Amino acid sequence: MTYLFQILNGIGLGMLYFLLAVGLSIIFGLLQFVNFAHGAFYLLGAYLAYEGVERGLSFWVAMPLAAVIVAALAGVTERLLLRRVYKLPHTFHILVTVGLALVVQEFVIIVWGPLGGNVAAPDELSGVMILGDFIYPQYRLFVIGFTAILAAALWWLLDRTRLGAIVRAGSESPQNMALLGYDTLSINTAIFALGAGLAGLAGALAAPMRGVEPFMGVEALGIAFVVVVIGGMGSYAGALAAGILVGVAQSLMATLWPEGARLVIYLGMAGIIMAMPRGLLGRA
Amino acid sequence: MIPILDRPLVQFGLATAAVLILPLVMRSGTLASEILIFGLAVAACNLLLGYTGLLSFGQGIFFGIGSYVAGLGLVRAGLPAPVMLAVSLGVGALVAAVVGWVSIRRQGVYFVMLTLAFSQMFYFLAYTFSGITGGDNGFLDIPRPTLVGTRLTDPWTYYAYVAVLFLVLFAALQRVALSTFGRTLLAIRDNEARAGAIGYPVRAFKVAAFAISGAVTAFAGALHAMLIGVAPLSNIDYHTSETLLIMTIIGGSANLFASLLGAGAYLLAADALSAIWPRWLLALGLLLIVITLFLQRGLWGLIERAIALVTRAPPPDDPARPVGTNPPVAHAPEVAR
Repeated sequence: MTYLFQILNGIGLGMLYFLLAVGLSIIFGLLQFVNFAHGAFYLLGAYLAYEGVERGLSFWVAMPLAAVIVAALAGVTERLLLRRVYKLPHTFHILVTVGLALVVQEFVIIVWGPLGGNVAAPDELSGVMILGDFIYPQYRLFVIGFTAILAAALWWLLDRTRLGAIVRAGSESPQNMALLGYDTLSINTAIFALGAGLAGLAGALAAPMRGVEPFMGVEALGIAFVVVVIGGMGSYAGALAAGILVGVAQSLMATLWPEGARLVIYLGMAGIIMAMPRGLLGRA
Repeated sequence: MIPILDRPLVQFGLATAAVLILPLVMRSGTLASEILIFGLAVAACNLLLGYTGLLSFGQGIFFGIGSYVAGLGLVRAGLPAPVMLAVSLGVGALVAAVVGWVSIRRQGVYFVMLTLAFSQMFYFLAYTFSGITGGDNGFLDIPRPTLVGTRLTDPWTYYAYVAVLFLVLFAALQRVALSTFGRTLLAIRDNEARAGAIGYPVRAFKVAAFAISGAVTAFAGALHAMLIGVAPLSNIDYHTSETLLIMTIIGGSANLFASLLGAGAYLLAADALSAIWPRWLLALGLLLIVITLFLQRGLWGLIERAIALVTRAPPPDDPARPVGTNPPVAHAPEVAR
């Protein structure tokens, strides 16, 4: 029973990891841009949800609002700053986003202090679900269901809609898309905002599960990279599979060997890279 | 023709001058030693970034391992400092060769992510096995080295010890960079496919560069542990890797002296700023953004421009010598305008 509980827990965690990683993957796929500020967007999403709830907003308002604000901020940043560095080597992508991440992290500490805080789960979901001798927090069930719907919607958006086709074509050849009359600059901004917004949403959803603290962004960045590396860059299904794999592994380890839970994730990643350098489902 | 400032003797002369000037202008021998120690680690980082085109977020691994290895040998086994410096050099090379061998299985951005994930892995290794590393508290009570029977507890005598070792390793790194091996690394950096097509075993060269860089970084880590008397968990943290990279890029990856410049500028600024503003990292973040936009060759690039202005020679093209992992991607968003 403990294992079933941990596996379910892991799936919930894994879906959050997927939300985090898929944005990173989309941004890289379309813009060839390495976003080291991705963890900072997650951090910001968590803190904005925290602030919203502290101010008396319902979590149901604060959570999407946080994601939208993060997306908007990311869009503005892309427009004002990041598009100036796309053409530079990757080193400078990393440098500028590491700088951005530092600015966001220090800003969070200035505004909300270094100690962090807790976010209460919404009242409707604060209880547990009981099925026989199986007890599970309702909020975590909600996270699993909600992210599953979101994942399906995202897949539909990228694989079945015109926008998705434009995005995929844009990642193949931005020049051709521009020649066809598409405003590739705006598409870039929109995709960057979407990816960052997903990271912000993951942060807001994670806040009631694990609270907020200023250094959660760095950890999230590490996890997102591991998920992308294991799943294979640019693979949507890979990000989903790897996200759940990492989440479940981490959850199971929490009962087997708590101190080593994080270690095992990274060891697993190294093992997978040795065995299959492209990741589980990578194409390139 | 090599520009005057890039000539090896001039570079070594600049490093020697820096070593001699620091005691004259600085009050803290500890901070001065720290500048040389990080200068060494940054030069090693530069061997990967500037000379091989590998942007590694794993340098903190080797720095931290050097600290722990020195601590273990000095405290648990009571071995003398020179032995432990040599051992950390060896262990650093070994671990770096393994990390490098696995990481170079992926290229470009994937490589960067892998090194970052490795850095997390070693951090959690150190964190998990706290019986060996001291976990959160770090490995404590690491003694300073002794020289002719006296322990170098005075900051400036330890500085002298560090300074000599710094110059030796700086010269060694220069030899590596100037050798056929180093020239081949440059060829790999500039065009990996071509270097491979000519017949160079590109992977072996990259792993070797990793091993050399890791060895020197671990050596610096060992010196650092002896300086502060602790091998802290933070030495193996992701932030150490990040800081070493930031120092490298602030200085500019054009040559090895630029690395010392970067380490010095970072540490002096950190020392001055953190005293007046605990959130000074915000300023650092903004500085990184400014460097990316306007100062892509780092502080060294600024010096080059200043000299070009004085001698009226044409300044070097801005991002002429590539400092990145990859050539700029063929991307032309402006077309849409």
